[in-house]
Amino acid sequence: MDKQQFYYDNKIVKLFLWATVIWGIVGMAVGLLVALLFIFPNLTEGISWLSFGRLRPLHTNAAIFAFVGNGIFLGIYYSMQRLLKARMFNDTLSKIHFWGWQLIIVAAAITLPLGFTSSKEYAELEWPIDLAVVLIWVVFAINMMGTILKRRIQHIYVAIWFYIATVVTIAILYIFNNLAIPVSAFKSYSVYAGVQDALIQWWYGHNAVAFFLTTPVLGMMYYFIPKVANRPIYSYRLSIIHFWSLIFIYIWAGPHHLLYTALPEWTQNLGTVFSIMLIFPSWGGMINGLLTLRGAWDKVRESPVLKFFVVAITGYGMATFEGPMLSFKNVNAIAHYTDWVVGHVHIGTLAWNGFMIAGVLYWLVEKLYKTELYSKKLANIHFWIGTLGVLFYAIPLYIAGFTQALMWKEFNPDGTLVYGNFLETVTEILPMYWMRAIGGTLYIIGFLLLAYNLMKTAAKGQAVEDELAEAAPLKAVSSFRVAGETLHSWLERKTILFTILTTVAVAIGGLVEIVPLFLVKSNIPTIESVKPYSPLQLEGRDIYIREGCNNCHSQMIRPFRSEVERYGDYSKAGEFVYDFPFLWGSRRTGPDLHRQGKKYNDNWQFNHLIDPRSTSPGSIMPSYSWLVDNNLDYSTIQTKMTNLRKLGVPYTDEQIKNAVITLQEEAALLEHNLRQDPEFIKNYDNKLVHEKEIVALIAYLQRLGTDLKK
Amino acid sequence: MEKEKCFHCGLETIEKQFIVEEKIFCCNGCKTVFEILNQHELSCYYDFQQAPGMIPKELKNKYNYLDSPEIVEKILTFNDGQICVVEFYIPNIHCSSCIWVLENLDRFNAGVKNSLVNFPLKTLRVTYKQSEISLKQLVAFIASIGYEPQISLEESIGIKKKVSNALIYKWSIAAFVFGNIMLLSFPEYFEIQEFWLERYKKVFRYMNFVMILPIVFYSATDYYISAYNGLKTRRLNIDVPITLGIIALFLQSAYEIIFDVGHGYFDTLAGLLFFLLTGKFFQQKTYNYLSFERDFKSYFPIAVTAITKEGKEISKQIQHLKLGDRILIRNEELVPVDGIMIKGDATLDYSFVTGESYPIKKESGEKIFAGGKQLSGIFEMEVIHEVSQSYLTQLWGNPIFQKVSHKTITTHIDKVSKYFTIVVLTIAFGSGLYWYFNDVSKAVFVFTAVLIITCPCALALVSPFSLGNILRIFGQNQFYLKNAQVIEALTKIDTIIFDKTGTITTNQQNAINADNIDINLAEKRALKTLIRNSNHPLSRIIYESIEEPILETKISNYEELTGLGIEGTINDVNLKVGSAKYLNLNETEFNETRVYILINNQLKGFYAMKNTYRQGIEQLFYNLKDKYNLIILSGDNEGERTRLLQMLPPNTQLEFDKKPIDKLNFVKELQEQGKRVMMIGDGLNDAGALAQSNIGIAVSDNVNVFTPASDGIIDAKIINKIPKLLNISHQTLTIIKTSFVFSFLYNVVGLYFAVTGQLTPLIAAILMPLSSITIIVYVTVLTNYVSRKL
Amino acid sequence: MEVVYITIGVSVIIAIIFFGVFLMNLKKGQYDDTYTPSVRMLFDDEEKNKKTNKESTKKETTNKQSITKQ
Repeated sequence: MDKQQFYYDNKIVKLFLWATVIWGIVGMAVGLLVALLFIFPNLTEGISWLSFGRLRPLHTNAAIFAFVGNGIFLGIYYSMQRLLKARMFNDTLSKIHFWGWQLIIVAAAITLPLGFTSSKEYAELEWPIDLAVVLIWVVFAINMMGTILKRRIQHIYVAIWFYIATVVTIAILYIFNNLAIPVSAFKSYSVYAGVQDALIQWWYGHNAVAFFLTTPVLGMMYYFIPKVANRPIYSYRLSIIHFWSLIFIYIWAGPHHLLYTALPEWTQNLGTVFSIMLIFPSWGGMINGLLTLRGAWDKVRESPVLKFFVVAITGYGMATFEGPMLSFKNVNAIAHYTDWVVGHVHIGTLAWNGFMIAGVLYWLVEKLYKTELYSKKLANIHFWIGTLGVLFYAIPLYIAGFTQALMWKEFNPDGTLVYGNFLETVTEILPMYWMRAIGGTLYIIGFLLLAYNLMKTAAKGQAVEDELAEAAPLKAVSSFRVAGETLHSWLERKTILFTILTTVAVAIGGLVEIVPLFLVKSNIPTIESVKPYSPLQLEGRDIYIREGCNNCHSQMIRPFRSEVERYGDYSKAGEFVYDFPFLWGSRRTGPDLHRQGKKYNDNWQFNHLIDPRSTSPGSIMPSYSWLVDNNLDYSTIQTKMTNLRKLGVPYTDEQIKNAVITLQEEAALLEHNLRQDPEFIKNYDNKLVHEKEIVALIAYLQRLGTDLKK
Repeated sequence: MEKEKCFHCGLETIEKQFIVEEKIFCCNGCKTVFEILNQHELSCYYDFQQAPGMIPKELKNKYNYLDSPEIVEKILTFNDGQICVVEFYIPNIHCSSCIWVLENLDRFNAGVKNSLVNFPLKTLRVTYKQSEISLKQLVAFIASIGYEPQISLEESIGIKKKVSNALIYKWSIAAFVFGNIMLLSFPEYFEIQEFWLERYKKVFRYMNFVMILPIVFYSATDYYISAYNGLKTRRLNIDVPITLGIIALFLQSAYEIIFDVGHGYFDTLAGLLFFLLTGKFFQQKTYNYLSFERDFKSYFPIAVTAITKEGKEISKQIQHLKLGDRILIRNEELVPVDGIMIKGDATLDYSFVTGESYPIKKESGEKIFAGGKQLSGIFEMEVIHEVSQSYLTQLWGNPIFQKVSHKTITTHIDKVSKYFTIVVLTIAFGSGLYWYFNDVSKAVFVFTAVLIITCPCALALVSPFSLGNILRIFGQNQFYLKNAQVIEALTKIDTIIFDKTGTITTNQQNAINADNIDINLAEKRALKTLIRNSNHPLSRIIYESIEEPILETKISNYEELTGLGIEGTINDVNLKVGSAKYLNLNETEFNETRVYILINNQLKGFYAMKNTYRQGIEQLFYNLKDKYNLIILSGDNEGERTRLLQMLPPNTQLEFDKKPIDKLNFVKELQEQGKRVMMIGDGLNDAGALAQSNIGIAVSDNVNVFTPASDGIIDAKIINKIPKLLNISHQTLTIIKTSFVFSFLYNVVGLYFAVTGQLTPLIAAILMPLSSITIIVYVTVLTNYVSRKL
Repeated sequence: MEVVYITIGVSVIIAIIFFGVFLMNLKKGQYDDTYTPSVRMLFDDEEKNKKTNKESTKKETTNKQSITKQ
């Protein structure tokens, strides 16, 4: 009953702090490199693991899971201990969480460039790493719930609820989206095909944004802004409403990523409606955050931390306004597949997440090292160039997106496309890519200043690893006269347990529910002519995935005149029934490929892959020269086919038995076609091209979308 | 003086300030915090605690009653014999530092283990060790740092009751289900013949089915019950058609889904209840800011100090006081029972009972009535009536106080809904029959469809949102009404009765008339100097009235007979000031209070006090006179009649010398003549009349201090706004009526679809929320508009 | 499109879980007071003397007060 003394664990907070800084630099650096590849396609000429298709996932993962990830853990581990007046539940768990997470990041940083990817955005990691992620996440969850249980303060502050939401939902979504059947140590097939895969992917994808990049950061907002400004949140009641309404609406906004696709229309409408509703809680939160600083603008003026927060919240407001707007079907019709979306997400990450975290870093380094910030001036400089960077990044991309979209849709009076050649629409916006690169550079410079500033501060201060605090334990006494404090705290425990157990239950239950579901043949209205991929095409498709072609090329022609005119007949749900995973893509840096098959002859494809600019001058596609050097490894082809059959692809025993022979025949045939071109003979006569990866890829490309033509 | 900002919390300092190191603080809390902060050592806390004289003298005895175990038991919320939890209501809590200080009590006092503030409710919840600090010590300690708890058995904790949790559950379930059902119904709104939809709609529909159950069987229960009670008392209240609607909706939808003939109306049903409950919720929220169920007892001390035969002082709960008990009444304490004055000097202020602010001196042997407040020193009295029979309680014992709600105002809603229900049912059956003969398959559907579409959701929302809103607006203007019916009742009254003293007159500044006095300046100053020493209300008034500065010279042989007068010599001038009795002059009855001045034993005249009327009273009466017949009902003598006559409109009826019970009967008579009476009064003497009249409004200079049970409390400051308030009530009723018309129109539209048997779920799902929302907006906007000028 | 079972199913289940938790909170009076917590969280408990004061007096005490465990 009497006051207890206890120590806050600052060590773990410190670790996360530095991890955030380091991974922040890494993530942004990769981002910058990727941005440069738009301008200098040859920058990493011939280095497979530095090609755009492989770096882009690395960038997104580093930014989201490494930088923001560590950032939110930093915030959670610091604020949660203090809000609950308790040390973290278990130091070992904390350590496991930290080091485990870093290992996962390293693993990702190695495997992604090597092309081990599931191709699903923000879920690219292959199955072994996925397992690790789930494991560490559970550790985190236990550690968190444990802390809540042993808290010394009755009321659970709203920030904690945002954290809880993150832990619970991310766990479930991640599991469901990453369900896959392994083929080898680093290759697996999503258990869902085509349309279904797309739906669940974006159901996850959107909620990754919602519950990984938004709710925890909101939690941080609700803790750190009042703390730094030293004034209570504008309306605590509003913040509670904000939380609960957000939770109930977010979950179903996913489909807005798939408007006008082959997804059933009502699902799309559903996504739209919910996304539009989202603006209310989101802006409620933004207003709440900003109004907290009302009458404290003098503080804002002198405190760089608050400056960062203000811009961060504004960014949140912008992003959450754009989101619903982009979910309007007619807006989406223009914006989708363009750089507009890229700009949109970067407002979220650079301004909202990045600045929120930056502010927290500056504030915490003082707290952790018990000293003043090394240089307020530097912090202010960081703020200004950072803000500039964000603007330089976003605005050009909005323009680029809009311009390109209009060019795609522009028709001549005679009904032909004005910009029939996709490349024109790309070269048109190259200046914007330049500006974007500059913006990125500014932003990363700012962040480097932060790193320096923090190191200096740490150097002059001295860290307090365990901070003494005291508080009376939670002597739970019911407000009525029952001497039943046991009963009460029991109720207490029950709630938390309830949460954990049901979560687990849902996860397991969900699994059980769907496993049989996918063992039965998927009953999409199958189109007769749609046939499974041949062995060679299948291998080609996996190379397509490995090289991350889907990062620049969509495979989803929307039912617009402009797109049908440009790419061919629009895509039907039935065409994707054998696509494990789906490869619709989300951005058209290059043209859509869904009707690519037979558009050009094999040699064109061959040359284009080896040296894109030879066939399409001015193309910004990197050359995939290594495809002619690497031998095609089809050792697992039969496993692949059998697994796919498990998932409902109608491969006959026959086909599987003869897979290898079929494959070799296809390859040989393809080389034979290639040899029709004297040029080819001149260069590759003595090369056994039919044994190389390139033939597989070509085979796949030539097959794309041809089923309906038969 | 212009308001200074508190150095610590930055709030504006209210009346009295605390100053340390020429820094100003708004409250002791801030001051304390600042003090603590200025010391770096924790030791300062202990210094602070030991600081002598921290606990003001009068506090010392004030909490003696907390020694008696059974009282303590009553107050504690938890007690396991060792750890105790108690919750106090502390009006002083007003800024973040208050929170800090109160939540760190343990730093000041080891006995306290934990303390938790609820700022909005201004309550403090303390967990402490009995062995280390007693409740009495605790209270005294908390009071000593500037946060005196308000302890009374009647309203100890949670003065402001919140919306009942049950309703919150019901509402949030409705909200949740509404949301999800909408989600699951959406697909079917958009397109009907879509491949996947065809496959999944069954699932969706059954999920809806499952989710609707908690709404139908839990959230909606209130309506069934109310409807049932209505029918039992043969009244077709609004909830009858609502219940019918709900049932119809549920059965129809259940049928459609089970036999797979349609989408069902669960979305409509969920929405319907969501809106209805939102209305209820809003209603409750607006109603519960003032507790009206006040019993005069709650203003009495919980216990008094009784003197045993052995002369020992023990504290005794007033309920336990027996005939013949001797009790001590201390300064500032209230006389809880009738009794006989024994010894000591009793100067009682009965303003609490009579509204008459002049203290009355009681000699030993005189009868003392309950409700008086002791102004000077201590006296001893003997109980002659137990609390239950004392004069006050008899007044309160009057049957009218027993009657639960003696004024059943049948609201418009009820009246309307009666016919409404009848009409609806006839239409339902009528159209049902019609179809029965033309197309049997449709008959039942049409019947239910009619019930569904006419479910008077909007109708039910009208009053919570219009009246509720008005209630809130009135509240913001210090005019608090018990409930919404009162607003309707306000529009029906034709007679307004005003109490005089304290209602149309003020208790504050009294007009002092010094015409009948002739003293020179020196004497005046001497007088002021003398009077300065007396804290008797009259002395204060005279003191204020003399502008001249006081003399520096000392007063020799000063003497004060409390309640009678004072005497003293300044510069060899002897002054006597006091009542005729004190100066043994023979005085004839006047309608004013007089204070006589004797200088060197010769009469220099007297100061006369008259009570003043509140500003704008004339105006008030003239504004009201055309619409209402006005009556003044006073407990005082005829003294003011002439003045009132020339002041107020001619047709105003004046009644004087009315005892509380007379007032009550007077109102009764009027009502028997079929008058609908609104009584405006203050003090317990009006309590009976207030309760008897159709509407009793208690006037109060400070809403938190005593007000008798009433239908409303009006702040004295806005008493002249009464015409406006009445006017607004009238307009509000018009708004309600018009909005009825609207919702009927909606029903007509709906009925068209229903009767013709083409009511689709979509139409229902659109029409229902549309009507509800437009109605809500309509009434809220308009009510705000009409009351803008307040 | 069986995946719809998962998306909707899981969504609704998650929603229901959170709703349950929400009701629990109501029951436990978590939301009885929707103001004080926002102020309470401002008070630091680690450095004993430093409180809500906006004066700079806290600064130099800060170091003294924070204890490092050996």
